[in-house]
Amino acid sequence: MINPWGVDTSIMKSVLRKNAVAYLFLSPWLIGLLALSVIPMGASLYFSFTEYDMFSSPQWIGLENYSGMIEDPKYLKSIEVTLTYVLFSVPLQLSFALGVSVLLNRGLRGLKIYRATYYVPSLFGGSVAVALLWRQLFGGEGLVNKFLASIGIEGANWISSPDTAIYTLIILAVWQFGSPMLIFLAGLKGIPNELYEAANIDGAGKLKQFFSITLPMLTPIILFNLIMQIIGAFQAFTPAYIVSGGEGGPLDSTLFYTLYLYQKAFAHFQMGYASAMAWALLIMIAIVTAVIFASSKKWVFYQE
Amino acid sequence: MNKFRSLFISLISVVLLIAVAGCSGGSSESASKSGGDGEGKKVEIRFAWWGDTKRHEIYNSIVDRFEEKHPNIKVKREFGGWPEYWEKMATQIAGGNAPDVVSMHQFYVSDYARRNSLLNLDELVKSGDINQDQFDEATVDSGKVDGKIYMIAKGITMSGWAYNPALFDKLGVSYPDPNWTWEDFGKKVEELKAKGIWGTQDFSGGQLQPNFRYFARQNGQDLFTEDGKLGFEKETLIKWWSMWDDLRKKEAIPDGATSTEYESAPLEQNMFVTGKTAMHQIPANQLHLYQEQFKEGELELVPYPNVKDGENGEYIEGAYLSITQKSKHPKEAAMFIDFFVNAKESLELFKVEQGSPGSAEMAEFVKPLLSVPQQKAVDFIQEVVPDARPAAYAPLGVNEVEQAFKDNASAIIFGQHSVDEAADKFMKTAEGILK
Repeated sequence: MINPWGVDTSIMKSVLRKNAVAYLFLSPWLIGLLALSVIPMGASLYFSFTEYDMFSSPQWIGLENYSGMIEDPKYLKSIEVTLTYVLFSVPLQLSFALGVSVLLNRGLRGLKIYRATYYVPSLFGGSVAVALLWRQLFGGEGLVNKFLASIGIEGANWISSPDTAIYTLIILAVWQFGSPMLIFLAGLKGIPNELYEAANIDGAGKLKQFFSITLPMLTPIILFNLIMQIIGAFQAFTPAYIVSGGEGGPLDSTLFYTLYLYQKAFAHFQMGYASAMAWALLIMIAIVTAVIFASSKKWVFYQE
Repeated sequence: MNKFRSLFISLISVVLLIAVAGCSGGSSESASKSGGDGEGKKVEIRFAWWGDTKRHEIYNSIVDRFEEKHPNIKVKREFGGWPEYWEKMATQIAGGNAPDVVSMHQFYVSDYARRNSLLNLDELVKSGDINQDQFDEATVDSGKVDGKIYMIAKGITMSGWAYNPALFDKLGVSYPDPNWTWEDFGKKVEELKAKGIWGTQDFSGGQLQPNFRYFARQNGQDLFTEDGKLGFEKETLIKWWSMWDDLRKKEAIPDGATSTEYESAPLEQNMFVTGKTAMHQIPANQLHLYQEQFKEGELELVPYPNVKDGENGEYIEGAYLSITQKSKHPKEAAMFIDFFVNAKESLELFKVEQGSPGSAEMAEFVKPLLSVPQQKAVDFIQEVVPDARPAAYAPLGVNEVEQAFKDNASAIIFGQHSVDEAADKFMKTAEGILK
């Protein structure tokens, strides 16, 4: 049987029959993908070309939302804040995670306990409770200042000063080094011991071994962690939302991209603009990721 | 194959089960859709409000009593703090699943009414489903937008300034005079600072109302005009911000970082309650909540400072109830509102939770039930209400205007802009939004 499209339907039917069970089992996921990702993304792409306040129907305005961003000082500020956050938090967090995992990888007794303990902050790191805790720690009368006072330094009001607020959030991000640490640990286990033995015989010191064996052998893992953490950092929302009371203050110093997007969408009812912002963020992350991938040829070492 | 078949069947049955569960949820809703008086049939309506834990307890009990009286109506409750409340409602209304009865406020009502999200209540009031016979004309009018009733007052309130006489006595500072001017206010703040306590927190920015609104109105202007334009001149804003800037430079009010830290603090932790400031602007109905936080002294309320030879700034504030346009049970929703604002069982619990009851009869009824600070609040409201003049409703885009107000005020606070620069920037932004 040949249908107008020139496809043999009997083959199609048999293929369908063969795969029906697979599709059935996949269906929860497929439905989820469609309902929770594909359709909303399509809608948001459409809204990004409209003026839409959620109450009246969207009005097509072409690229106006996108061109409006360039002239929006708060938008530019939010990019500046987000880039600062990404540039500081990701390298710091990764170095910290690498350092801890190298220390943990020295055949410590009770490794499992340490590993679990150091992972704990990551478990609730992005949560509201911890963001609130941060407010307490770095507030004007917070623990950090009490500690500083005990050694004779007068602390500032870290969270409420425009100059320092973002750095408290960076510290919060670094503190959640658990998941890259676990991945690094797994990576470290995968480095053959012979390499270190050979280096020992050649008389290379620990430092030399770290830079000439450990680091190069870990570069694929570093690449993976780098990309995952950068994407995560671009999308950070909760800490800034809670710590600044949803405002991105003081003086927009913690106005993360996603926070501004949220304000535009749910406080100012500018769904169109917010959708356009979401797509611009997607493009930005895609570019950054592509650049890192392109550069990886120069610095990632695959053992083959 | 047999094993496989049983697996297949069990999978199908799970899918069916989910589908059935989904249907049953939908059908119960549609079955009750027609329920007019709802006799015999179970009807479910949803009611949302903003507030703190205390209020949630009170409103839950009121709803319980309503359900007892009307066993065929079930009221689902949704509540949260003020900012989340509005964000959630905006999303719900847009998504077409807003609660039937929502708490409303003057600052937002025009926005929702003009976007056709709220039910025009004229018919339900005329038919007597919602009885407003005992309501003051001014109170009824305060629930109208463009001449139509969109909301019914739960309680009305007025803003004032609270202080603790015990503290003033201890410091040896005389109490604020009820007929004070903003100059007196500034002097009082400095006087308090000289005794070692900040006079007040920094109210220069934040929300547009009530503080700046009072000032604008006293200067013969308002936040907005009736046709939705900006209602005040740049000079007024400069005067307002300069006054605060001056106090800040003299360190009579907190610095920027300290103010920011307390910006979103809950009542129990704000600067006034924690003893960092001596005077605080509050809505009168919250006086008793503040009083609970003070072991020593009985708090007093004074009206707003005046502008010399200026006009009255006073306007009625309050909390209201509205029915959303898409409500499937407007009749039951109206019954609920009527119960909430007119039934003794309800007012007995409400007392003056969000202001003096809208119904004059109920305001009399709750009087003997009130604690001293609540009584004081009612006296204050009744004393000031005659000075109140109507206030123009906020136009579309008010949230963005408020954001610009906040942003530019903090730019001054942190020394990023001078008062003139900030006022300039604000006017440009606001006029751009409200064009």
